[in-house]
Amino acid sequence: MRPRFRFRGLAHDERVTARVGRWLGIAFAVCFVTGLISHFVQHPAGIFAWPSRPVNLYRVTQGLHVISGIAAIPLLLAKLWSVYPKLFARPVVRSPLHAIERGSILVLSGAAFFQLLTGLFNIAQNYPWNFYFPTAHYAVSWIAIGSILVHVAVKLPVIRSGLRKDPTAAAKPDDHLGLSRRGFLRGTWLTAGVAVVATAGATVPLLRGVSGLSWRSGKGPQGVPVNRTASAAGVVDAARNPQWTLEVVAPAGTRRFTLAELAAMPQTTAELPIACVEGWSQPATWTGVPVADLLGEVGARPGAEVDVVSLEQDGLYARSTLPGEHTADPLSLLALRVNGEVLDIDHGYPCRVIAPNRPGVLQTKWVQRLEVR
Amino acid sequence: MRILLFVAGVAVLGWGAFLLAEFALPLGPQGMVALGWLLGGPLAHDLLVAPIAAVAGMLLVRVVPATWRAPVQVGVAITAVLTLLAFPLLWREFGAAPSPGLHDGDTATGLLLTLVAVWSVVLVTGTSRVLLAARNEKRAAPDEDRIRCGAFTRGYRLRMAGVGLGRTRGRASGVTSPRRVDRRG
Repeated sequence: MRPRFRFRGLAHDERVTARVGRWLGIAFAVCFVTGLISHFVQHPAGIFAWPSRPVNLYRVTQGLHVISGIAAIPLLLAKLWSVYPKLFARPVVRSPLHAIERGSILVLSGAAFFQLLTGLFNIAQNYPWNFYFPTAHYAVSWIAIGSILVHVAVKLPVIRSGLRKDPTAAAKPDDHLGLSRRGFLRGTWLTAGVAVVATAGATVPLLRGVSGLSWRSGKGPQGVPVNRTASAAGVVDAARNPQWTLEVVAPAGTRRFTLAELAAMPQTTAELPIACVEGWSQPATWTGVPVADLLGEVGARPGAEVDVVSLEQDGLYARSTLPGEHTADPLSLLALRVNGEVLDIDHGYPCRVIAPNRPGVLQTKWVQRLEVR
Repeated sequence: MRILLFVAGVAVLGWGAFLLAEFALPLGPQGMVALGWLLGGPLAHDLLVAPIAAVAGMLLVRVVPATWRAPVQVGVAITAVLTLLAFPLLWREFGAAPSPGLHDGDTATGLLLTLVAVWSVVLVTGTSRVLLAARNEKRAAPDEDRIRCGAFTRGYRLRMAGVGLGRTRGRASGVTSPRRVDRRG
C-alpha cells in the first residue's frame, strides 16, 4: 500500500543528511574520545598515563564531552528528520543485505539516543532508571561509535555525493512552502548553537551569566559548587571533631599531624579548578600543604602512588588513588583553605585533596589518611 | 578504505555488545530497563516525536505567513530543544537532592528568559523581513506586485489543488533564512 501522504520538505535530501551527519559524526567522535579519557583517568589501565599538567586539561576535555553531547541532540534530531521518509520506504526489506543495513540503523539510532539521553539526565543527577549509569554509558559508547563507523562505511558513496556542491542550487527556484535546504541547515546550526550557549556556562566562565539552563549555580559556599555535602556523606561530627588528626602511612613508618601542625607547615597557594565528570567546573584559589612535602615527612619519595582515604565510610567518594605523576607535582595539595577562607565543611574541612588536572570525583574531601604504596 | 572502516566498525561494535552483555546478562531488572532505554529512543522518536514535528510543520505552513515562516519554524525548533534540555532539571522525580551550587538554580526562570531572548530575535528577524519585502514590492512592476500580495494565501490553496505556483510564491516568501535577506535586499 502506498502511503497517503508525501514528505515534501526540502530537508529530506541527502545533501542535508550528509552535512548534518558530518557534524553529528564529529560531535560523537569528540564525545567518544573525551569519554574514554575520563574513563581511563578514573579506571587506570595498562599504558594509559594521565599527566598532571596542564592543570585545566581535564576541565577542557570533560567540558567538551558534555558540550558536544548537548550539541549532538539537535543535530541527531535534524539528521533523523532529513531521512525520516526512508522509514516508510517500500518494500520494507529488499534483500538480506538491506535487512542488515536497516537493522544496523536501528542499533545506531538506539545507541545514539541512549548516550545523549542518559548523559543529559546524568548531568542533572537525575536517574529515571535502575542501572549504574557509568557502566551502561561506557558500554553503549562502543556500540554507538562502532555503528557510526559501519554506517559511514556503508553510506560512503552517498556521503561523497551528498557533500559535493550542487552547481544548480543557485538557479533552482525556491519552490517550497517551508524551509529551503539551506534554510534547514542554517536553522540546525543555529539550534545547536543556542543549545550550547544555553548550557555551556556550566564550565565556560564567559557564558556564566548567559546560560539559562546551566546545572551549576553561583550559590555554592565560598564560590564553589558542592557535589556532596558533609551531611550527605555522614561526616559532620567526625570532620568537626577537635581530636581529628591526619595519618600518613608509609613503608618507613606512620606519622600523625594535627590541623595546627599542618597549618604550620610551609603552604602553597594555587589556582586550580574543580572539574566535575558532569561537565561543570569552577576554578578557585586553594592553599595547603603539598602532598610531596607530606611524603617527605614520612621518608617516602614524591612520585610514589598514594591512596587517599576519606572520613566518609564507603561509596564512590570514600577513597581515591593519586598516581605518582600527581604526587610528584608540587601543585597537588592537601588543601586547608579556599579563596582565602578556612575550607567550608561541605568542601572537605578539615582538609581535602586538590590536584591539577583531575576529575572532581577524585579530589577526595574530609581526608583522614594518606597511604603511601 | 570502506572495507577497513566497516571491519573496524564491526569490531568496535562487537566489543561494545560484549561489554553490554557483560552488564545486562543474565537479563535481570537492570538489563531489562537498559534495553528498554536502548529501544525506547528510536521508538519514541519514530512514532511520536517525528510525527508531531511533521504535523507541527504542516500547521505552521498553514497558519504563518510566508515571510514569517522561516524565523518562526527555527524559533519553534529552538524552543523544543531548549525545553528538552531543561526537562531533567525541572522534572526531578528521580533526581538527587540539589546541593549548594548544583541543581539549585532557577531553571524555570532561566528557560523562560532564554525563550524570551530567542523569540525577540524571531520577532526582529520577521519584522525586518516584512519591511524588506514591502520595500522590494514598491520597486517591482505593478502586475507582478498583485501576484505577490496574495501569494502566500492564494498560492498555498492552489498548491493544495495541485497547481504549482512555486516561483512566485517562492519570491514572495523571498527568503528562507535570516541571512539571505541581506543578499537579496
